[in-house]
Amino acid sequence: MKASEKLIKDLAPRKFNKAGVIWTWTLVIISVLGIIAYIDQVIKGQVVTNMNDYALWGIYISNFVFFVATSFVGTVTVAVLRLTKNAWRTPIVRIAEIISLASIIMAGITIMIDMGRPDRLLYLFIHGRMQSPIIWDVIIIPTYIVISLLLLYFPLLPDLAILKKHFKKTKPKLSKWYGKLSFNWTGSVAQKAIQSKSIQIIAILTIPAGFMLQTIDAWLFSTLFRVGWDSTNMGAYFISGASVAGIGALVTVVYVIQKAYKLEDYITDYHYDKLGKLLALTCLIYLYFNINEYLLPQLTSKKEEITHTNVLFTGEYAPLFWLVTIGGLIVPIILLLFKKGRKPLPMFLIGLLVVVGSWWKRYLIVTPTLLHPFLPIQGVPESWHHYFPSLHEWTITIGTLAMALLIITILVRYLPVIPIQRTADEQALLETEENKKS
Amino acid sequence: MKSPLKNYFIFLALFGVFLSSTIFQNLYAQDAKKNKVRLKADYVKIMDEEVYFDLKASSKIDKKNIGVANIELIISSEVDDEEIKLGSVTTNMNGESRFVLKDFNTLKPDSTNTFNIAVSFKGNDKFKRASKSISFKDAVIEANLITKDSINYITAILKDKSTDSVIVGESLNVQVQRLFMPFKIGKEFNTTDENGRIIVPIEEEIPGVDGILTFEVVLSDSDDYGTVKDLVNAPIGTPIVDESTFDQRTMWSPRNKTPLFLLILPNLLTFGMWFIIIYLITKLFKIAKS
Repeated sequence: MKASEKLIKDLAPRKFNKAGVIWTWTLVIISVLGIIAYIDQVIKGQVVTNMNDYALWGIYISNFVFFVATSFVGTVTVAVLRLTKNAWRTPIVRIAEIISLASIIMAGITIMIDMGRPDRLLYLFIHGRMQSPIIWDVIIIPTYIVISLLLLYFPLLPDLAILKKHFKKTKPKLSKWYGKLSFNWTGSVAQKAIQSKSIQIIAILTIPAGFMLQTIDAWLFSTLFRVGWDSTNMGAYFISGASVAGIGALVTVVYVIQKAYKLEDYITDYHYDKLGKLLALTCLIYLYFNINEYLLPQLTSKKEEITHTNVLFTGEYAPLFWLVTIGGLIVPIILLLFKKGRKPLPMFLIGLLVVVGSWWKRYLIVTPTLLHPFLPIQGVPESWHHYFPSLHEWTITIGTLAMALLIITILVRYLPVIPIQRTADEQALLETEENKKS
Repeated sequence: MKSPLKNYFIFLALFGVFLSSTIFQNLYAQDAKKNKVRLKADYVKIMDEEVYFDLKASSKIDKKNIGVANIELIISSEVDDEEIKLGSVTTNMNGESRFVLKDFNTLKPDSTNTFNIAVSFKGNDKFKRASKSISFKDAVIEANLITKDSINYITAILKDKSTDSVIVGESLNVQVQRLFMPFKIGKEFNTTDENGRIIVPIEEEIPGVDGILTFEVVLSDSDDYGTVKDLVNAPIGTPIVDESTFDQRTMWSPRNKTPLFLLILPNLLTFGMWFIIIYLITKLFKIAKS
């Protein structure tokens, strides 16, 4: 078998095995349950949630912030690694692009779930005030969705043309679809020039758009006069946290796809090592901003800040806080410093830890602050000082997480997860160089 | 097998219970004790402006005084056993209402120059009928601003209009109108002298919008004359510097007063990004054609 044929055979999308089918149907069922719970919430109103006058943002906003953060993977890996000409990125960029697109789509959907009257969504555009970070969010999220789509789509064009040819005899219908989506790609010099220039523009555009998205998300909090949020550190804090969440998710998904599709020849220990170093770097930066975020209020000892940090350090949220900080940040940093820690399986486990830690971290950013407002109201019921999501909230949230995974799963099923054309070009280049040497 | 007769008796018994409960309910409703309504009426006259009656209907229910809402109160003038209806008002949710007299001349005094006003409530399912009478004589206040030796004073003369004689020994309040509560000036009691007159010095540097102060000279809740008030506007206050940002473009303004930089910068960024996006989409079609 020719090298190119083997490459296409290895990297072309293929049917899921039994585990893949079970996985997909499980996600479908969880998503449907989430949709049913959401319909019930729309009918009965947000009374079905455990949100109250204090905890007016709950698990939905935490989940939204998590999705926004995870979508940053497109910026931090694809765009940055491309512009810095890191050649090792090839087998992981497509997966990063898919995660980025799935996350930002789900972020847009999740924020609507938090609306008491989703039928008034249009009012945000009609009556929105440009002074409000919420309107900036309303603008940047659709923009980032389109940018993420283009970031995924442009590099796909040559691969879609390859798949059209590959499936012509075996799956003509699918081949027809790939043909339509490939925009008549022939690989001509003119097409390659346009594509290359366009990808370069998207890569540059993705970075400010990604930074704006994360910063606006941070400003949704820091423009409110509340303990734990009212901080100039928030923009950078969110960007570094998003890098951690995004790369953590990438590592996890890369490992699962590598094992499911048996891509060990393409995604090697070398790639895990590089990803591990990148994750360690982002975790260290995030740890630095965490120290800024929590240590300074403790040192300056303002009454409200102390109340807030005490709740996190020793109070009601202490177990979760330390689990997130140590388990989701410090332990990964320590493990990633060792070469053995950057091997595939440890990296997968670290990635999982980081993702779970990142999700709960958003919960800790949103909830405890709301429970300690600057202006306490007299005669507040004790229940207002506590918040734990209701069954509806959990079902809907888990449903959205399942939907994000479902989008990733569907895209992985029908798209080549590793760029075929680019891998072939790199292999050809490598062979030429080796021939020259010999 | 069940007897049809038995079923018939069960039906009759159930119907009887239903009927009796309905009858007893009605009987009970007829016997239900109605609550007493207490009416309060205050006569207020503002010189050269309006005359009105502040009315309040309350009732003691479960040992608590509550305002009686949405009841109609009829206001009449009583002259020599004759009642002339002046109008009617409905109480608000607090049991309060105000009846503004359109023309004071419609009121006729009795032989002692006293005006007698009756406020009545006809009664309804829940409340008994009630009435309240008030009597007052017509008094006038003539207030003025004078300046002596660079000091401003408010002077006022209180007169009984029917006899055109001054009223001696009544206490008048002098105050400046404020947003929530009037600001009292002068002594606690400014009693009219033998000329029915008071004179009250005005403190300096009282702030007012555009420096205009509105002074009120008030005969408050007098047994004989009710409440009578005269207003004097005078540009002798310290102008308030308006620090409101209402007309400015600020972060807290409505959308039509958005700061210009917030209109320009985000829109430039948004349109800039979408321009590039559209440019890239056109490139896709260019790829298809080339």
